[in-house]
Amino acid sequence: MNEYRNPIATSVRVVAVLLILAILLLPFLWIFVNSFRPTMDIVAGPEIIPSAVTLDNYTGLLDSTPYWSWVRNSSIVALITIVFTVPIAVLASYGLNRCHFPGRNQLGIAVLAVYAFPTTLLVIPMFSLFNRFGLLDTYIGLALVNTLLAVPFAVWMLQAFMRSVPSEIEEASAMDGHGRLRTLFRIVVPQVLPGIFSVAVFAMVVAWTEYLFASVLMVSDSNRVLAVGMADLIGQYRVDWGRLMAGAVMTAAPVVLLFSITARWFLRGVSAGALD
Amino acid sequence: MSAIDLVQISKSFGSTTVVDGIDLAIADGEFVVLVGPSGCGKTTTLRMIAGLERPTSGDIRIDDTSVVQLPPQKRDLAMVFQNYALYSHYTVAKNLAYPLKARGVPKTEIAEKVQATADMLGLGQVLRRRPGQLSGGQRQRVALGRAIIREPLAFLMDEPLSNLDAALRVDMRKEIIQLANRLGSTVVYVTHDQVEAMTMADRVVVMYDGRIQQLGTPEEVFERPANRFVAGFIGTPRMNFLESSVTADGNLDVEGSIVSAGAAISKKAGETVVLGVRPEALAIDPQGPLHMTVTLTENLGSETLAYGQVRQQECLLLSPTRLAPREGDGIRMSCEPVDMHVFESGDLGKRIAGGS
Repeated sequence: MNEYRNPIATSVRVVAVLLILAILLLPFLWIFVNSFRPTMDIVAGPEIIPSAVTLDNYTGLLDSTPYWSWVRNSSIVALITIVFTVPIAVLASYGLNRCHFPGRNQLGIAVLAVYAFPTTLLVIPMFSLFNRFGLLDTYIGLALVNTLLAVPFAVWMLQAFMRSVPSEIEEASAMDGHGRLRTLFRIVVPQVLPGIFSVAVFAMVVAWTEYLFASVLMVSDSNRVLAVGMADLIGQYRVDWGRLMAGAVMTAAPVVLLFSITARWFLRGVSAGALD
Repeated sequence: MSAIDLVQISKSFGSTTVVDGIDLAIADGEFVVLVGPSGCGKTTTLRMIAGLERPTSGDIRIDDTSVVQLPPQKRDLAMVFQNYALYSHYTVAKNLAYPLKARGVPKTEIAEKVQATADMLGLGQVLRRRPGQLSGGQRQRVALGRAIIREPLAFLMDEPLSNLDAALRVDMRKEIIQLANRLGSTVVYVTHDQVEAMTMADRVVVMYDGRIQQLGTPEEVFERPANRFVAGFIGTPRMNFLESSVTADGNLDVEGSIVSAGAAISKKAGETVVLGVRPEALAIDPQGPLHMTVTLTENLGSETLAYGQVRQQECLLLSPTRLAPREGDGIRMSCEPVDMHVFESGDLGKRIAGGS
């Protein structure tokens, strides 16, 4: 079929794709390039090919801010978020997909509807709730909030993978003498491992990038996470753009890396539901 | 090994009744084949025996114990699925071992049994491979191995050969029969393929529309089909059905030709019945009572199929090629009374006379 494509249409398509890519990627290129330029140059104006290149922004960031402490805090919170999110998403998506109970469809829709709820409204009640339960300024507390934010989409994404598991192999497992939970963990989970990995990455990204709750719930300096720490680089009167850019690059790097590894599975999870 | 009894089993999905009050007693060690067109309820029946579907009403008993309330994993039956349903993330060895693990069999014993089963099925060389690396026939053997390894009360097989190509299907058919004979096991086998039903079964259960149309040995369902549906379903090419009326002396009037079905038919004169004759039972006979105009012939090699019309009714003749008519010929045919089947009119019209 490709052989019969109109060359003009193809070139128009390529140009359009390049244009969209440029619009999407330019800010990232901008951040990346500027992270290696002296702050004075950045303020002076944009350059695609920098006239002066320096690592000062990176060394300055690491020397004068508790950057590694933020990374550690963010990592701990992200890890706990994954530990909470994955089992919940596995059980919920399996239940919504395979177990028959009244209100199942409504529950499935409700899970997604939660996602449309403006979470900003939850900040105040969450604060007082966390205060009462002693969860304020704790890793577990923030991870719980992140889990709350990650689970609806994670369940939805994993459902697409669950649907692709043929029900016969579960039936075969039952005939072979295994109960439902053992079938889930021995047979179904290994079949949806890519989905579980995607969900873990998604949970990690949510935790890594969440700002609002992190800024409100993590009160003490020593518990500050990366997103909040980065925002604090923006002072009231002065912004150190170079360091900010360096920090942005370093913060985004693990996310981009993980995402590029799992992108294929991610897409499958998101699109599978739409296609069937 | 065990006997399985179905007592007035029914299954409805919403307002659709898929299985409608089936009674079936399967003896210990018997090979029973459920056969019928798609949607006849055969697979649902099998799945109810397995415990994968819960009957809407009725009872299922294995060795005189009701199992209808038990989940599949508690029934100790093994099932072979149409698409094999192998665990693709496990090796062949682990697939075979999986049912034994559920029963807490010690590891050394599992290893021995896996080896023995693999040897029996010719899977010794592929034990470490995953199902994705196997051919269709090997996958089917793994599925069989997984079923036989734990010596279940009975085997349930749901169209296990339908994903294989024709040549392999014939081989596997033989293998399954030999396996069942060797193990002496009760087998309930579902297929839409009447050749499988005829060749494999001790008894055939012909199903249609959620009901058992006939239960009998392959010879019985072929030679004495209980109704017009069974007569049409079993046998290739399909049996001819010629609408006829009963004459005053109990013979049949087929489009003006008087045919004797051996014994007199106990129906009122003028009543419409259906004469069933298999294409291979018709013979060209210049003195025969039936006249057919041939419209099309198909040479199958040693035999030729002749399609034609007896007045307005379609009819098929299978004759040796050297005797076969040509297109456009008008021929006369006869048939031995023993090969005639008379049914009441209607798709499910009951047998009223004929046959051996």
